Amino acid sequence: MKKKITNLWNRFREKMTPDPMFHETEVQANRLGSLMLFCSGLILLLILALTIAGVFPLKGRLMYSTTIQAIVEILILLVICKIFKNNAWWLKPLLLIGMVIVFARLDSMLTHKAAILMVLPVVFSSRYFSRKLTVFTSILTTVIFAASAFWGATHGLINLNIVTMQEGTVMVATGGFLGDAVQNAGASNEMLIRNTLLYDYFPKWLMFSIVSIISCNIARRGRSMVISQHEKDSKVARIESELNLASAIQADMLPNIFPPFPERTEFDIYASMTPAKEVGGDFYDFFLVDEDHLCMVMADVSGKGVPAALFMMASKIILANNAMMGKSPAQILTETNAAICSNNREEMFVTVWLGILEISTGKLTAANAGHEYPVVKHGNGAFELLKDKHGFVIGGMDGVKYQNYELMLEPGSKLFLYTDGVPEATDAQNELFGTDRMLAALNQEPSASPEQVLKNVDSSVKEFVKEAEQFDDLTMLCLEYKGNQ
Amino acid sequence: MLNINKTIENNKATFALEGRMDTVTAPELEKEIQAVLPGLTELVLDFENLEYISSAGLRVLLSAQKAMNAQGSMKVCHVNAAVMEIFEVTGFSDILTIE
Repeated sequence: MKKKITNLWNRFREKMTPDPMFHETEVQANRLGSLMLFCSGLILLLILALTIAGVFPLKGRLMYSTTIQAIVEILILLVICKIFKNNAWWLKPLLLIGMVIVFARLDSMLTHKAAILMVLPVVFSSRYFSRKLTVFTSILTTVIFAASAFWGATHGLINLNIVTMQEGTVMVATGGFLGDAVQNAGASNEMLIRNTLLYDYFPKWLMFSIVSIISCNIARRGRSMVISQHEKDSKVARIESELNLASAIQADMLPNIFPPFPERTEFDIYASMTPAKEVGGDFYDFFLVDEDHLCMVMADVSGKGVPAALFMMASKIILANNAMMGKSPAQILTETNAAICSNNREEMFVTVWLGILEISTGKLTAANAGHEYPVVKHGNGAFELLKDKHGFVIGGMDGVKYQNYELMLEPGSKLFLYTDGVPEATDAQNELFGTDRMLAALNQEPSASPEQVLKNVDSSVKEFVKEAEQFDDLTMLCLEYKGNQ
Repeated sequence: MLNINKTIENNKATFALEGRMDTVTAPELEKEIQAVLPGLTELVLDFENLEYISSAGLRVLLSAQKAMNAQGSMKVCHVNAAVMEIFEVTGFSDILTIE
């Protein structure tokens, strides 16, 4: 017997404990239930006060005891909700059952006067978004309110419309209300009960069942909305965390520890990338091919976001692999183009400037696949655009050939590489930053360290753009050739 | 913002573009061009009022050029100096027919 009860209790508990995704909304529903009870309590107090003041002409003794009992019950429920902060699995059934009982008690006194009391618990139950719970509340309401109608027929307010009297019955008014006179005239209890159930309760129940059906529907719709919202939220959260991870991986792919070659005194190099979105299509790269050759890459993938980042990763790896085999810049670009074109149905492309510096002599060999003009400062001169030979972008067309060009860097010379994010930074009036402003920023302090040179350009761009949104990635690289000092 | 004015006569389509062709607006043009491509033998892009083209825009031009190579011809006309510089820098001036 005891085991049976424990089993039953466990099953009940299991049924009433919500799925984790509904926990939040059930706590909110409990809070709404508390609020509903609180308001009901206030109304009862008001009615009580008005009755005491003699405004409401209700049956005195019964009115008082019923109202006070209902207020006490409401208070107990409110205190429980408060103690458990609306947060316990058993509050849901407690609130619903308590509400049905409190409202049924009032209904037994007010009978036909307050038909709306019957629908309150069912409407409230739909807030828990569980059709089963609403069905359960409907059945409970049906039973308890039938009992209250049964008891109320003889104890509560008499609905004079349903009192049938024998022909010729004479009522004698003794002051007070018509209902008292009717009772004094000898209305039988059976007649009152039968007529109340048939003429009062039954039509009321029919209307109640419509509200029940609507509440069930609300509960079911609410449930599916909570579920789909939850699914969307977790999807968005997943995509967001994946994007963050992707941009971290992307940032880690670029050499980002400076100085990168602390033991090399012949040159100084600094680079930075500020993506406009989480992940971008720009990249720079530099690495030593051997003891005497430094390879530098500046590239920009068409488009933005995840597709550009994926394409950027592939391009970076293919370029670096080709470079490490000791090929010339033009060969590296030609072969990278062939590799990318062999499998590029989305027609993405990447502009690349690639140069290899012979560290011992300062001879720079470079090739340009549709990338921006590099900027060079010879010795103590000023930064100037180098209008170099351009080939077509990589990935655009199969079989494109690229050409090498050479220039000598004297000690003190600098090379500045960038992507179109710099000259095409736009201000609020849609004006472009342009290469002229970029050269001016570079020539502010032409002899500063590469790191400072990049900072100058960056702050100059920021000052120009002001509050306008950064539209493109800002990627820059600066090399200073010092030679064998 | 990119306004696309499309005129089609027989197998010739002309797109007059106005504004900026960038990551946001280029896909619109791509969709418009894809829609008229079947059976098209002549595609004209009028850049008279185009202020700016980004790499996403260049990608649309490249795929249109490749498609038209197979079935007819494509030309770009009234290119302003700023856009022309982008074409030259990226090497697009070598693969496009620019008038």
